[in-house]
Amino acid sequence: MTSRPELRRQYDLIESFQPALHVAQNWNYENSGPLYRAFMHPPHDVGGQHDVPVYYEEKEEEQWELNTYVTCEVLGWRGVWNSEERRRRADNDLGYTLYLGMPYYGRWIWAAARMMVDKKHISLNELIDKIAEVRSRYEKR
Amino acid sequence: MKKDKAAKGQSGGARGRFKVGDRVQVRDMPNIFYTRTQNYVRGVVGTIAECTYRDLIPEDEAFNFDGGLEQYYIVRFRQKDLWEEYPFECDTLQTEFPEHWLEPAGH
Repeated sequence: MTSRPELRRQYDLIESFQPALHVAQNWNYENSGPLYRAFMHPPHDVGGQHDVPVYYEEKEEEQWELNTYVTCEVLGWRGVWNSEERRRRADNDLGYTLYLGMPYYGRWIWAAARMMVDKKHISLNELIDKIAEVRSRYEKR
Repeated sequence: MKKDKAAKGQSGGARGRFKVGDRVQVRDMPNIFYTRTQNYVRGVVGTIAECTYRDLIPEDEAFNFDGGLEQYYIVRFRQKDLWEEYPFECDTLQTEFPEHWLEPAGH
């Protein structure tokens, strides 16, 4: 069981993801036109937004990233999804918080798992059980 | 899904509604779930720079909906028309749309 202090720290982290707007929002009764339009904006359309300078570096792919790439391509070859579905899921349906917070290939593998469940290739409980099994195997090492 | 691969590599040519040099305006449609048409070009007038190929449109393909093929165009905009504060008169920006997102300028 997660210790209660650990659980509290987890909730604090989750709360910190709330958008830094100076308006409390949760289940708004209505959104103004501009606010609605901003909410509907797809996260991958980044043009025109201000940003801080980013340090540019050449990062080599890690093994899990290459595995993710190949997994997603193979799912395409097998006709499970097309590249636009992956872009939609991976880049957009995640929403801003996950889109910005996940590693690049983290979005991909998240999207692949979601697609497998959505299209009934696996059940969500199968996925949950498998991930739990793999996790406990790693923790025993 | 079947058409996904077959569509690639077909050239569009004169089959589309617009030709190189035509003035077009990007339609200002609502964002719902998915699009690849950038917000900053909506309603802006540009010039057809190239008729590229025919392919599925993103809004269909993203949901694996076989809506048929459409002509794609590369459209050239003046940077000044996109960003008021842009400092150089002659600079341009090119991006690509399926026919669905374009209409003749001044229609």
